[in-house]
Amino acid sequence: MRVMKFLAILMALACVPLLSHAAEVKLTSSTQYLWYQDLLAADKEKSQEDVAEYLRVNVTKLDKEGKINIYGYGRATKQVSTSQDLQGRLYYFYVDYRDAFKEHLDLRAGRTYVNAAAVSGTIDGLHVDIKNLGPMGITVFGGRHVIFEDKRDTGTRGDALTGMSLYLDTIKNTHIEVSYGRKYSDTDVARENIGLDFSTTPIGQANFYGRLKYDIVAETNNEILFGAKVAPLNDLVLRAEYYQSYPTFDIASIYSIFAVNKYKEKSISAEYQLTANYRVSVKYAREDFGNDADADSYEIGFLARPVKDLTLNMIYEKRNGYAGELSGIRLYGEYKISNAAIMAGIDYDDFRRELSREGTAKKYWAGVNYEFNKMISAIVRVENNVNFLYDHSYQGYAAININY
Amino acid sequence: MLNNRTLKIILLSTVFVFTLVCLSFARTDHRDYKDNKPEECRDCHSGSGVMSNHGAFFVKEHRLLAQKAGSNCADCHQQSFCIDCHQGGGITADLQRSPSRRGEYKPKTHRSDFISTHSMKAADNPQNCYRCHQSSFCTDCHTGTRSKGSLRIKSHRKAGTSSQIYNWNSDHAAEARRNLQSCETCHPDADVCVQCHSSGKANPHPRNWRDISKRYKDESKGRTCRKCHITY
Repeated sequence: MRVMKFLAILMALACVPLLSHAAEVKLTSSTQYLWYQDLLAADKEKSQEDVAEYLRVNVTKLDKEGKINIYGYGRATKQVSTSQDLQGRLYYFYVDYRDAFKEHLDLRAGRTYVNAAAVSGTIDGLHVDIKNLGPMGITVFGGRHVIFEDKRDTGTRGDALTGMSLYLDTIKNTHIEVSYGRKYSDTDVARENIGLDFSTTPIGQANFYGRLKYDIVAETNNEILFGAKVAPLNDLVLRAEYYQSYPTFDIASIYSIFAVNKYKEKSISAEYQLTANYRVSVKYAREDFGNDADADSYEIGFLARPVKDLTLNMIYEKRNGYAGELSGIRLYGEYKISNAAIMAGIDYDDFRRELSREGTAKKYWAGVNYEFNKMISAIVRVENNVNFLYDHSYQGYAAININY
Repeated sequence: MLNNRTLKIILLSTVFVFTLVCLSFARTDHRDYKDNKPEECRDCHSGSGVMSNHGAFFVKEHRLLAQKAGSNCADCHQQSFCIDCHQGGGITADLQRSPSRRGEYKPKTHRSDFISTHSMKAADNPQNCYRCHQSSFCTDCHTGTRSKGSLRIKSHRKAGTSSQIYNWNSDHAAEARRNLQSCETCHPDADVCVQCHSSGKANPHPRNWRDISKRYKDESKGRTCRKCHITY
């Protein structure tokens, strides 16, 4: 019933323009049929089949100045190969009131995604952005915490997220932000974090950035990140980064009482735009898991547009050390002909898990997106997986998209 | 020595200059460019003194930018753009994405047979998994179908082919300390941990436990402590 309720709400929104001549409605619908393999199904060789309906509604210009808008997005899915019930998710549905008080106040009310260094998630609540106070701004948010799980949205009335951030945009392109967040589980405090972000570009060719996420309850740094991005040439970007994390748990979790290791990662990367149509990138990361366990990770990427409407992409990745070895390549390309975009690709991974399975995994896929006109398009995608679990596993989907 | 009048002048001048500089900051509204292709961003960004993003490593680096208050992501992207990757949505039905075993769309980072390679990817910063998945997500596979003897975890393997004894020695401590979140997947109440650790022979607490234990005790109303310490 909940599924039908939110779909009815979304559909009702489409009628809003009847009440207000000024409002504009943009409706995006995607009706899909998917077939896929579920390794946990009673017969893992048998394909599962779903039908899904995605609906996104943007109702804009509800007022003369175009400050009040409503946005909604949700989906309903039904597994037709079994007797599973219709399931649904309302991803977001909120009223957005920009510049509610001159240019100093933005409001979002309803189900919306909130994001800060200290805490992030989807809430049924309110997000307030008090902005342009000179160089400063304050963001405050809070509401019931919505958890997406197993094709549905869950979360009890006692699950909540609250937070705020105070930010300062000083000399050009310098941003400093302090945020605070609390997560509640069944009305009890589950997490309490402080986040500190900074980013500065003292000269056009150099950017320094960082993030500190501190767990107040565990009295430890949950995440630390420092990085520098330098562009010695217009088309060359170099980056060096240090990242450290220390997993923490909800207060009521028994795991919160255990000591754990820090994960540390040092990485360097370079990205060079050879010409407007060719780009090459490389990356190396050294990972430290504690107790003499470490790993090295390498990545090389190449992007090419040799002729008009053709894009080719290649990424090679190699990893060895703690947890296992992986060497893999991913190739894919896109070609546009008239109203059709054709894509195809291959993934190939050679892996050796520590004390566990080893072998190769291959995925071959192809798809086409055909636009009948600006309003209607159709998509078909198929793939074949050859891997440890399946000799051949065919999966895919077909979709009809309507933009109104 | 500077007198009061001079100090006041310096202070007021500093405040004036600081305010002027701060107000000179103006976030560029990118809404006019939202239909441009990423490669066209270089037309402005290359050589402008503001480095472009959305490059080869943007999937990893976008988090900091997106979590910034007042970020300009919304100038071009709707919330559905984030949700389709982070929560398995598919209104745009990206041709590069595969369906998962539940019939939801997987992000492009989950390449080839991700079930086979996920243990290595999960080791590369375990926190990455929990940005999108609840810990119960792992439970479907790890407790639903496998007995502990067949799990590919060093400390969970039998000592011999016919033995009923598991390699439960110091290996489990090292494994748990490196990725404790993975233990929670199969042992949500940690009953198996409590069997030994409650005896007091092996102290599992972090070094700063004396400083932080009171808050844990208060907030959990002693429930967490009573798992091992019956007097709490």
